[in-house]
Amino acid sequence: MAGDAIVLGAGQNGLAAAARLAAAGRRVVVLERRDGVGGLCAARELHPGYRVPGVLHDGGLVDPEVTARLGLERHGLAFRAEPPVLLAEEGGPGLLLARAPAAAASELARRSAADAAAYAELRAWLARLAPIVRRLLAEPPPRLAPESLGDFWRLARPALALRRMGRADLTELLRVAPMCVADFLNERFATPLLIEGLAAPALAGTWSGPWSAGTTTLWLLEECAAGRFVAGGPPALVDALERAARAAGAEIRTGAEVTRVRVERGRVAGVTLASGETLDAPLVVATTDPKRTLLELVSPGMLPLETEEEARRIRSRGTAAKLHLALDGPLELAGRPGERLEAIRIGGGHIDDLERAFDAIKYRACSPAPHLEVRVPTVADPSLAPAGHEVVSILVSFAPHQLDGGWTTAARARLLDSVLTRLERHAPGVRGRVVASELLAPPDLEASFGATGGQLHQVEPALDQLFVLRPSPSAARYATALGGLYLGGAGCHPGGGVRPTAGLLAADAVLARPQRS
Amino acid sequence: MPIPSPFHERTRALCTSYRWKDWAGYAAVCSYDTTHDREYFAFRESAGLLDVSPLYKYEISGPDAAALLSRMVVRDVGKLAVGRVAYVCWCDDRGKVVDDGTVARLGDDAFRMTAADPTLHWLLAVGRGLRATVEDSSARLAALALQGPRSRDILRAATDADLDALKFFGIARARLDGIEVWVSRTGYTGDLGYEVWVERDSALRAWDALVDAGRPHGLEPAGLDALDVARIEAGFLLLGIDYYSAPKVVLESRQSTPDELGLAWMVDLDRGPFVGRDAIAAERRRPPAWRFVGLEVAWEALEALYESYGLPPALPATARRDGLPIYRGARQVGKATSHTWSPLLKKYLVLATVEASHAAPGSLLELEHTVEFERRRVPARVVATPFFDPERKRRP
Repeated sequence: MAGDAIVLGAGQNGLAAAARLAAAGRRVVVLERRDGVGGLCAARELHPGYRVPGVLHDGGLVDPEVTARLGLERHGLAFRAEPPVLLAEEGGPGLLLARAPAAAASELARRSAADAAAYAELRAWLARLAPIVRRLLAEPPPRLAPESLGDFWRLARPALALRRMGRADLTELLRVAPMCVADFLNERFATPLLIEGLAAPALAGTWSGPWSAGTTTLWLLEECAAGRFVAGGPPALVDALERAARAAGAEIRTGAEVTRVRVERGRVAGVTLASGETLDAPLVVATTDPKRTLLELVSPGMLPLETEEEARRIRSRGTAAKLHLALDGPLELAGRPGERLEAIRIGGGHIDDLERAFDAIKYRACSPAPHLEVRVPTVADPSLAPAGHEVVSILVSFAPHQLDGGWTTAARARLLDSVLTRLERHAPGVRGRVVASELLAPPDLEASFGATGGQLHQVEPALDQLFVLRPSPSAARYATALGGLYLGGAGCHPGGGVRPTAGLLAADAVLARPQRS
Repeated sequence: MPIPSPFHERTRALCTSYRWKDWAGYAAVCSYDTTHDREYFAFRESAGLLDVSPLYKYEISGPDAAALLSRMVVRDVGKLAVGRVAYVCWCDDRGKVVDDGTVARLGDDAFRMTAADPTLHWLLAVGRGLRATVEDSSARLAALALQGPRSRDILRAATDADLDALKFFGIARARLDGIEVWVSRTGYTGDLGYEVWVERDSALRAWDALVDAGRPHGLEPAGLDALDVARIEAGFLLLGIDYYSAPKVVLESRQSTPDELGLAWMVDLDRGPFVGRDAIAAERRRPPAWRFVGLEVAWEALEALYESYGLPPALPATARRDGLPIYRGARQVGKATSHTWSPLLKKYLVLATVEASHAAPGSLLELEHTVEFERRRVPARVVATPFFDPERKRRP
């Protein structure tokens, strides 16, 4: 007997699940295929002497309630103010956008007084909506068919909370939620750069462009989920999670690839590792990609046919590439000379440019003008690179997993060139300062991190793959149809991004059931 | 618009009644004559030749073929010997029957399945991750049912098959007029009978060879009307009539479990998981609510009912599928789904689903019967099925 529970994956969710289970007194073993913990949040050396803080490079979705429940502050987690993001423009200073309307007001007013007012109004509406949405994101999805009075209450409570927002706010929410984010933002703002810049983050990693229906919901979820900004970025979160898990008594084994979830008499009995070693446990919490977990780690026939069919229908297509650059000097934008910027968003300057960048992947191509979500981690932490040097982390949208002609060396070179070309227009000379680069196309992300399709959220965020439908209707409450098997990765509610909530909620689901053995 | 079957050239020429129906998208003969009597008696007295090409057919092969089928159907197909055929049903995750058909083991890793409904998607879904390929051979293979007491003599004359070795529910390769065919001792009439499986291109040659060989034995081409009477006499279920495919109906009350359909004998729970296993095991903790049964209508009472109108008894000439309520006292306790006058047994036979508490043989119920537009009832007694079960059916 390896213990009471085996957790698959030592990413943020696996560590959170392990910390919670171990703190509740369960004997937990975490098994991680990679040589280190952290998964997509793990710091990464792209070149000797140059490190980037994680494939996921944004630290802003962490729910303080979740970190408090895990006691992460006691294990070194610290927060800091979220840096503003520069919406870059060619031949101009761009727009330095802060989330707080007061901080953004003067920058916005230089473009349009009406936009500044609209921004304040939008933020005020979000502030009324956010507490309700955050509540939903911090709890398991409700049972659609209530089995108890408590279930019924949990189903009714969000509806009542929304009702209490008042008729005007609620009507507006019902009106905009199914809209495409382009329409939603075009209604409010006039400045093309602002519209494109506001729309982009909610689309990262999704199979949708700004003109895709329902993207306003994705946008609202992203905005409302914005929590506190982790100092040190994703690796700092992982460090705190690892310390919390170990302190609670969880055992973490890296280099331990699980090839099979073993089933005996219709229930989970343990796992088999690639080495042939077997570990016994009556519970497995898989934070690995749900599709792969249900269809590959579990033998065919062990799950109900309908569960398998649901798993097969899950869409997990990678849509973004990651580019890491090592520069021999600071990244300086022509429009902002001398300024040190942590976050830069580079598009074409118009919402349609973002749509065009998305269009390409529908036809299995990379856009020649991709959208770039740029982070410069060395601004906050110069120790990531040799003195005076810089590392740059770029999420490139969009790039398909199934590229026509395959991800050949030439295809990779083309994508790198189109990114550098776009970057060069804003930061002349940057191409010549590149010491080293690392491009992670969707197939690389799939191979390195095991997520089907190289999908950064494990399961594509989309209206039909959210909340009670995430990752699939029968597994939305973390327990699966296979007794003892739980899901708890980014593919579960509330989803991906840097936040360990799904793992925590999966552990809650385990603990809510009577202990066996 | 139904399409012609591989035997259409022959059946069309013989079908003087022009009575056709759509069977799984094919034009199928109801009866060659204006009535089916002659064809029915051929099944029971000599032999009838029925085009069953519209059956859905699938070839499942590969190292995991047995595992695939064992996962899909309620029987343990792994136990089936090469050269044997099993009557099977399969269920959804809730243990509700999806369809019934046969599985033939043609080789260690090769099976042929027949089904009443299209089943390719179901086979592919169940086979995910298994080393087995599934071919929909429905169009490639033509099939003839040769059924009746003289069927063996006809096949002996027409083929080189070792018919003495071919036992009930056996299947073997044979040559028929130089054509390679499969012959199985199976059928839907509940009598001595065979089915011949032949490549579509050789279909007409196979038909001609069997018709030639059958001439001295009184072989008659037979249609679906005659078959329907014979299969009710045999007590055989018909999908879409006596029960419904679970995924195709909205109400749970329309769905059936194997136990409710009288198929409990084929359910093998003591093995690896199969689709619906847990639900069936759970159902077994309490007896099923419904049972599929046979009923015999009390003829004297029926005659008396007609007599009260001044009429002689009159029953439909063909087997009927209009659902009729079944009562016990004032309460409805079931529904008749197929009923027919049996010309051989001289009885009015009913296939019905009734509440389990009324399903024991001997239980006396009442069947609704309309005379002169008035709904009346006639007594009907539960009897064991098959109604007709000749010894020759399984005799070596």
